[in-house]
Amino acid sequence: MSEPTSNFMGRQGFFLLPVLLALAGCAGNGEGLDQNGEPVSGGPPPNSDFAEIQATIFTPICTNCHIGANAPQGLRLDEANSYAMLVNVASGEVPSLLRVNPGNPDTSYIVQKLQGNNAVGARMPFGGPYLPQDRIDLVRRWIAAGAPAAASPPNQLTVASTVPGSAEVAPAGTSKLTVIFAGDVDASLATRETFGLRNGFDELVPLAAVRVPTGRPNVVELTTMQPLLQGTYQLEVRANGPVALADNAGHVLDGDADGKAGGDFLMSFDVSAGEKK
Amino acid sequence: MIGARNWMRVLVVMAALGCASQANAEPYLAAQMGLKCAQCHVNPTGGGMRTVFGNAFAQTQLAAKKIGGDDDMWTGQVMKFLSVGGNARANYTYVDVPHQDSTSEFEMEEARAYLDFGVIPNRLSVYIDQRFAPGNSTNLEANVRYWIKENAFYVKAGRMYLPFGYRLEDDNAFVRQASGINMQTPDEGVEFGMEQGNWSTQFALSNGSGGGPENDKGKQLAARVEFVQSVWRVGASALYNDTDAGNRSGAGLFGAFRVGAVTLLGEVDYIDDESIGVDGRKLMASLAEADWKIRQGHNLKLAFEWLEPNRDVDEDEQQRASLLYEWSPIQFVQLRGGVRLYDGIPQNDNQNRTQAFVQLHGFF
Repeated sequence: MSEPTSNFMGRQGFFLLPVLLALAGCAGNGEGLDQNGEPVSGGPPPNSDFAEIQATIFTPICTNCHIGANAPQGLRLDEANSYAMLVNVASGEVPSLLRVNPGNPDTSYIVQKLQGNNAVGARMPFGGPYLPQDRIDLVRRWIAAGAPAAASPPNQLTVASTVPGSAEVAPAGTSKLTVIFAGDVDASLATRETFGLRNGFDELVPLAAVRVPTGRPNVVELTTMQPLLQGTYQLEVRANGPVALADNAGHVLDGDADGKAGGDFLMSFDVSAGEKK
Repeated sequence: MIGARNWMRVLVVMAALGCASQANAEPYLAAQMGLKCAQCHVNPTGGGMRTVFGNAFAQTQLAAKKIGGDDDMWTGQVMKFLSVGGNARANYTYVDVPHQDSTSEFEMEEARAYLDFGVIPNRLSVYIDQRFAPGNSTNLEANVRYWIKENAFYVKAGRMYLPFGYRLEDDNAFVRQASGINMQTPDEGVEFGMEQGNWSTQFALSNGSGGGPENDKGKQLAARVEFVQSVWRVGASALYNDTDAGNRSGAGLFGAFRVGAVTLLGEVDYIDDESIGVDGRKLMASLAEADWKIRQGHNLKLAFEWLEPNRDVDEDEQQRASLLYEWSPIQFVQLRGGVRLYDGIPQNDNQNRTQAFVQLHGFF
């Protein structure tokens, strides 16, 4: 093999590249999209610090990498997962620190990563540009205020997201479901009476446990007695009847999202035929 | 370090291979010389510690000028069973984001050290890649590698970078972001590899948790196969990550072609991630790069990248163009500088930023 050297043919090859790239795509013009590259929904602007953090930091910047099954450190910062994966969750790089420690921005690992005084690894966003100070201040303010979830309408409790999500396909063998609320749940009301799971034959699936995890008052975890088999399931969170789920202030769940307290929350998902993992 | 006699053996081997040598952590160098990654790196998939050949490569060909005599050649072998290496990158970076004040800063991008304990020479090694800066010490790779048949088949177990496409130094390249497999996301698992003739093949089974703690029983498969010729190469990659949050699958093609002093590289990846949102998301990313070896020690790099972050949404594509100059005045020192122009949707300022940087890169 001969030593490559600078020559006319080489230069041609170098400048050939832009021609080849003409065959590739161009940047989008953004028509009809919001700043996150999603179709404009016409929905209301962010109505809380966390919603603003999601809309201006996590979705447009962090989800370049922190999204999907291969997200670094398993940290997914898309709208459906960010809150549950941050608040009161131990950091992967420094397990002694919480990613978000409500009320304590200085000891929240996410703040350290954004400010660059983190103990391990690179400052975020990785490779820059780093966040302007007003965006870091927004994160600090949100944490100092207790890191509340995205605001629900005044004096109402609503469901923010679930895992698995609506219409998602969960793997066979799934035995844990997570419901994340926009607001703190009255843990004494998180029971088998207010949470139910039905299979495709409209039969109740036995639940081994319904609990509010320690330090995560806006989350309820359900564990089934047996791993779920292939089929369609419906999750129910009851806001009607003698026992209805409510927050600590007694506001009953607005499960059907009609802006009024009451109305069960119903969500369906499938379990795949894959082997149990 | 090996003595002058052994160094002569290295030179003889290099001459026998019929190639001038050059070593670093960038795939264009391998493509430029028609070599496999394993030629210059202890890790058969590239990156990290350099082999004796790789270190010789860096001193005799990558550098414009070598300081010192042949007896001063660094091989990485500090004693019979132990080799060491390292990388340090210090940057000065300027960033201009539309509608924001421009910023600039000095930054220690990374300082890493490599240790390779060759407890059974050419067969069994314990390898460690430790990052010491920025921040506290962090392990990036720690694995045991056993060559079942010397220089032909191996098995590796522990923490490692996964095989998929080109192992680029720049983890912010769209193809590395979209695939989610880069040097920021080492994973724990086992890898089988074959280095036979013109073929280089790897197959890895790992947690699939992006370097974080495993939280389900699903695992990730990542595979890469490459056929290497002296002036061209072609390869394919595939991955499948089985997680409770949804499955993620991907495939990619990559290749390179050398035209005189210019090496052209390309990679295209397609990812289908069911774990994103309700309907999942399909992504595409591509890289086209040209490296012009103007003369020994001088390289001009031009790269264009394209990212389609969601195939179901129109007009959301992003582009990145980079023009870099890399100058290696003496062995183990590289001065890099360049500019990267981002072009995305006008609503997102970050996608339309300009970055310029100068980097001092020391390695051994």
